[in-house]
Amino acid sequence: MEYDEKSRYIELNMGPQHPSTHGVLRLRLTLDGETVKKVEPIIGYLHRNAEKICELDFYCDALIYFDRMDYVGAMNMEVGYLEAAEKLLNIEPPERVKWIRVIMAELNRIASHLVWAGAFGLDLGMLTPFFYVFEEREKILNLFTEICGSRQETNYMSIGGVYQDFNDKIIFRIREFLDEFPKKLEEVYNLFIKNDIFISRTKDIGILEPEIALSYGVTGPMLRASGIPYDVRKDEPYLVYDRVNFTVPISKKKDVLARFIVRFEEMRQSVKIVKQALDKLPDGPFFNPKAKKSLMIRLRGEGDVYARTESTKGEFGVYMVGDGSVKPYRVHVRSPAFKNLSVLPYLSKDVLIADMVAISGSIDLVFGEVDR
Amino acid sequence: MTYEIKEETGKDGRKVFRIGRDHLLELMKDLKDQGYDHLTLISSVDFRDRIELIYHLEKSSDNFSIIVVKTETKDTHIPSVTPLWESANWDEREQYDMMGVIFDGHPDLKRILLPEGWNGYPLRKDYDMSKVQFVNMDEEGNDYVSFDPGDGW
Amino acid sequence: MNLLTRIALILGFLGHYPAYILAYIIETLIVLIFAVVVVAGMVYFFRKYMARVQMRIGPNRVGKYGVLQVMADGLKLIQKESIMPQGRDDLPYKVAPLIIFIALIMGFVFIPYGPLAWLGTLTVTHSDVSLVIMFALIAIMPIGELLSGIVSNNKYAVLGSLRGVAKDISFEVPMMLSVLAIVMMASATKGISPLDLNGIVQAQNIPFAILEPLGFFVFLISMAARASYSPFDMGESDSELVTGNTTEYSGLRFGMFYLGLFGTIFLGSMILSTMYLGGYNGPFVDDLGFIWLLIKTMVIVVISLTIWLSMPRVRIDKFVTFGWKYLLPISFINLILTGFLVLGGIS
Repeated sequence: MEYDEKSRYIELNMGPQHPSTHGVLRLRLTLDGETVKKVEPIIGYLHRNAEKICELDFYCDALIYFDRMDYVGAMNMEVGYLEAAEKLLNIEPPERVKWIRVIMAELNRIASHLVWAGAFGLDLGMLTPFFYVFEEREKILNLFTEICGSRQETNYMSIGGVYQDFNDKIIFRIREFLDEFPKKLEEVYNLFIKNDIFISRTKDIGILEPEIALSYGVTGPMLRASGIPYDVRKDEPYLVYDRVNFTVPISKKKDVLARFIVRFEEMRQSVKIVKQALDKLPDGPFFNPKAKKSLMIRLRGEGDVYARTESTKGEFGVYMVGDGSVKPYRVHVRSPAFKNLSVLPYLSKDVLIADMVAISGSIDLVFGEVDR
Repeated sequence: MTYEIKEETGKDGRKVFRIGRDHLLELMKDLKDQGYDHLTLISSVDFRDRIELIYHLEKSSDNFSIIVVKTETKDTHIPSVTPLWESANWDEREQYDMMGVIFDGHPDLKRILLPEGWNGYPLRKDYDMSKVQFVNMDEEGNDYVSFDPGDGW
Repeated sequence: MNLLTRIALILGFLGHYPAYILAYIIETLIVLIFAVVVVAGMVYFFRKYMARVQMRIGPNRVGKYGVLQVMADGLKLIQKESIMPQGRDDLPYKVAPLIIFIALIMGFVFIPYGPLAWLGTLTVTHSDVSLVIMFALIAIMPIGELLSGIVSNNKYAVLGSLRGVAKDISFEVPMMLSVLAIVMMASATKGISPLDLNGIVQAQNIPFAILEPLGFFVFLISMAARASYSPFDMGESDSELVTGNTTEYSGLRFGMFYLGLFGTIFLGSMILSTMYLGGYNGPFVDDLGFIWLLIKTMVIVVISLTIWLSMPRVRIDKFVTFGWKYLLPISFINLILTGFLVLGGIS
């Protein structure tokens, strides 16, 4: 019988509707039995071209499209946009606002990492931790509801300020949450890490060497799990991150388990940051009078800036060009999940399907951000 | 050095190298040898008469400090830097998709976010937004684009 | 006196043979209804238990405490349009869920249920080789899974079937070896048929789980793998292969697979408690035998569900390695130890 090279491989379309693709990722797999020979990610199913929409609106209006990019960590997106916009428009937010933004961004980082942990558990077939992490996340979202009036796409910050000031009740409730949270976090952590099957599914899977990671533009927890301590909060501090005390967790193991451990350690650091920020929160106005509501649409910017911030997934950069009118001339977003996804074909060469799912789960994909 | 660089400081205080596109690859190679091993971002801006390309490079040994390289093209052609940094692959595909910049020497230059066959490049300033395009799938599973509303999903 | 004679006595006015024939039919019907009700109850119990574990409430709208939820779901599944894939092999496609379902229901017929109050023994059929029949029925079920995957013209389903087969061969051999040890053990007791499940129950003055813990362990894992719940659900593995071999099934046919899953858990737990935990043996066995069996089964079910809810999925190659490298040697060791026990006359 003639040997047919073509019939040796199965072509499989995973997604865009598939339980483990975190939204609308489509992977075109070439399989040799159970082994993945080639992966080609096909993205763009959630593409809205937020960059073009930003060009059509005032500087202050573009913010809501950033909320909808990484909808799991919306506060970090807002911080990222405002870092760029405020630089371009020469508006300095008051001191209190900076601290408030740090608090909100870090709380949201915790929420985002929790969601990631739950979804990652689901990818591996673990049902129960998903509900445990969502319970904790719900508490954070309840805090957000109280502060900004909505849960996920908060639209809380604005150019030169925030929408509403913190009051004593909120501060008390955040403290209350922070007191209980570390205990629950350890519980969830143990649910995963004390499970031998979980360890055997994640250890030595998807090893990403640091040189490869750098060359692919990987950032965030994935890069830190490969042993490179790159964190924008430390390397180019924005807001008031240079005035809080925290460490950047890294791991030398480079595998999926390392990414898991790094993310959990980051949550513990975030708790630490929020606690310090609450202690140091100064009094003062919560918006810059130069950017109050009636003046906001008249803000004009000229020149170009690139601002990078550490979002929940990695280096979130906004490149912004202004031409002196009331609308941005060009906004370009460096989406960390987009770059992290580009390393998936490299990582999942010659692995089993089950491992490929674990690897793609460890990237932390949110498709609002990848497709923009 | 055989090429000329104009050095400026950007509004955000970053060092900017401005260079003609003929010498872009040489400069990029030199920068990579100097330790700029992390290509963060390739963006492009349409100034109607020309398209400006902006490369943000980071140096991992020096706290990921950023350097900016700017170049411009009038006929949308630019040499690809994918052989130097893998991350340029998807970035350049995105810029090709959105801005219509053609990267010479790119291994697999095709659209990444929009379906193959989309008309126009959305981030160009002269992109006609009043025309609605509909995406559908043909018998073989390939996307195609048409202006007929009856064709959309 | 058993249930069969009881019913035949009531129907005695029809004459001897018609009464017995009718009694057989009625009793079989009772068992079938029992099986379906038990499986439905199992689904409800599972959902409530899962909700407890996951800090939720679970079904609570249809009926008091949501007890009718399963019925509502079943009605929904029956009403739903059955969407069938193009290019399927029609007959096997339709037969596959039936194979699983019928094999499962028939399995319930051969379980020695034990006596309950004045009803007497509930067991339907006495066969001298009920153990063999039982495992033959259990061995039929993978055929349904295999068929459903191969004929439904879907790549996920094919991959799911391949995994299912790889999984099945790697645990069936250790399972049968541990069953062999049970038969050896039972044959040491005089006056019973060692291939009869009822005889095995009677032979257990001491539950076999105590005498051969290794065999119990192997059989527990094999039963979990047979029912294919997490951590052994690589066959359907919803995050990788959508739902494996059942991907293309909908409506009532999907419902059969679903019931098959829960039914297998229950049947497996029943077999386990019959063979290793002494079945209906217990205090007041003449009145409460059936209750004892149910209690033992429920304990095993709860253990299974807890495993299901707390474990991630094992990778298929690791499970195959585990099956051949650990389970098989363990079951051989168990066989040898049992041999010593039988020779030493301990049982």
